[in-house]
Amino acid sequence: MRRIEEQTYYEILEVSPEATPREIEKAYERAKETFHVDSPAIYTLFSKEEIEEIQGAIEEAHRVLMNEDLRKSYDQAHQEVIQQSSPGRLPEVEGKFQEKGSPLSFSDLALNIEEVDYRGAGLKQIRERLGIDLKTIAAETKINIKILTWIEEEDLKHLPPLVYLKGFLKSYAKVLHLDPQRLIEGYLQLLKEGKKR
Amino acid sequence: MKPSRNQNPQILWTIGGGKGGSGKSFLTANIGVCLSRLGAEVILVDADLGGANLHTLLGILPPFPSLSDFMRRRIPHLRDVLIATGIPNLQLITGAQDLLNAADSKNLQKRRVLRSIKALEGDYILVDLGGGNAVSVLDFFLMSDGGILVVTPEPTSIENTYRFLKSALYRKLRQSVSSHLVKSLIDAAMDGKNEMGIRNPHDLLREVRQLSHEEGERVIEEVKAFRPNLILNQVQSKKDVEIGFSIRSACRKYFGIHLHYLGYIVYDQEVGSSIRKRRPLILEHDRSKAAQCITEIASKLANSHQRSFSFERTVR
Repeated sequence: MRRIEEQTYYEILEVSPEATPREIEKAYERAKETFHVDSPAIYTLFSKEEIEEIQGAIEEAHRVLMNEDLRKSYDQAHQEVIQQSSPGRLPEVEGKFQEKGSPLSFSDLALNIEEVDYRGAGLKQIRERLGIDLKTIAAETKINIKILTWIEEEDLKHLPPLVYLKGFLKSYAKVLHLDPQRLIEGYLQLLKEGKKR
Repeated sequence: MKPSRNQNPQILWTIGGGKGGSGKSFLTANIGVCLSRLGAEVILVDADLGGANLHTLLGILPPFPSLSDFMRRRIPHLRDVLIATGIPNLQLITGAQDLLNAADSKNLQKRRVLRSIKALEGDYILVDLGGGNAVSVLDFFLMSDGGILVVTPEPTSIENTYRFLKSALYRKLRQSVSSHLVKSLIDAAMDGKNEMGIRNPHDLLREVRQLSHEEGERVIEEVKAFRPNLILNQVQSKKDVEIGFSIRSACRKYFGIHLHYLGYIVYDQEVGSSIRKRRPLILEHDRSKAAQCITEIASKLANSHQRSFSFERTVR
């Protein structure tokens, strides 16, 4: 719980001390957007003067951290305080939830399920996004886990005959609440392409 | 045969936020349905004491036992107020139907309700709260393992959410300190135009430290431990989605708290349609975009506690 003037440049931009220039740039853009005078997220909390102070701090943090030499000097001069606020101690990684590394990261939420390719890789992506492991799918569908792996890996050599495969895909789709027909069609397309190759 | 309950202690989530109409009850009902479909035993509690309607969202018609019966001691145990919803693994405690002043329930009565909710046996207890910043609403919100705020991207909703967060945080701080002087200071700080120049929690901490270093440390610990979650409802654009991140940043800079942005629900006309049919969206239109967003949030909640539920228990 530190005032803006007591925060490190990393805390101001809400990035880790190991952040890459690209991550810093992205965080800077987001911070600028958040603390823009017209932002609906700030106008009731901060006074005009406070917003200007935060904007100044964001600009300065960005200027220093995007310059390799300046960043190195800053890191050396503030080594202790940066370590204290390093990711292991920052609030965002202490909680029950972690936006990064959790089975369902926030960026995954932005994924439009309608745009996912209904083949093996897409299926795996959706399953992981729902936080369901393959063992659970195997238990639910009574399909051997090896077959499920082959389906996800699009291992055409090992896949069972079409008549069985369709049934497996249908069961798998049902567990994930997906459209079974769409999955079967997507997969048949994959098989056709595989044969052509 | 009813499966035995998970051996882990129950997890309690309170769903609140400053403004009525942001979708708290709708999300409580639908997240509850999602969790129940994972095989968890879920109990929904309608603690919107002034305007209970969770039962309507689940298509349950009165008469039924409600929280009023427990509060008026017509039914001695809260567990006896539980009603089946017709959805496997999902039970409901309906809100007060006939107590116009229920929102101002007496302290003792409130404590009895809070205690009894915590003693309910289920894997997940989801408590739907009313709007506003009444002390009883704040106390319900603070009893949770993780309070969830439901906000829409409109300035009015965001403004009320900040007001709610400030009230909840100061209430939590007030409960944690022992000095009467510090308690009075926190009370005074609630007035944004107070004479001591306390405009935010940082200013409050400065003043508390002047009174007592020990209480200052306690305030820091309490702020650190205060970790509400945010769901942004009815988003219509990528810009709306970004507002969630902005709210998170603003909270970190202003309150010094970490607000976890749990996810967003896209605006979807199927929502209105399911409400009119008095059927949970997850059951009525499970492939709609909003239903997918809710499913993902429910999965995040389930996964956050490393629970594993056997799909054998899921009845479809």
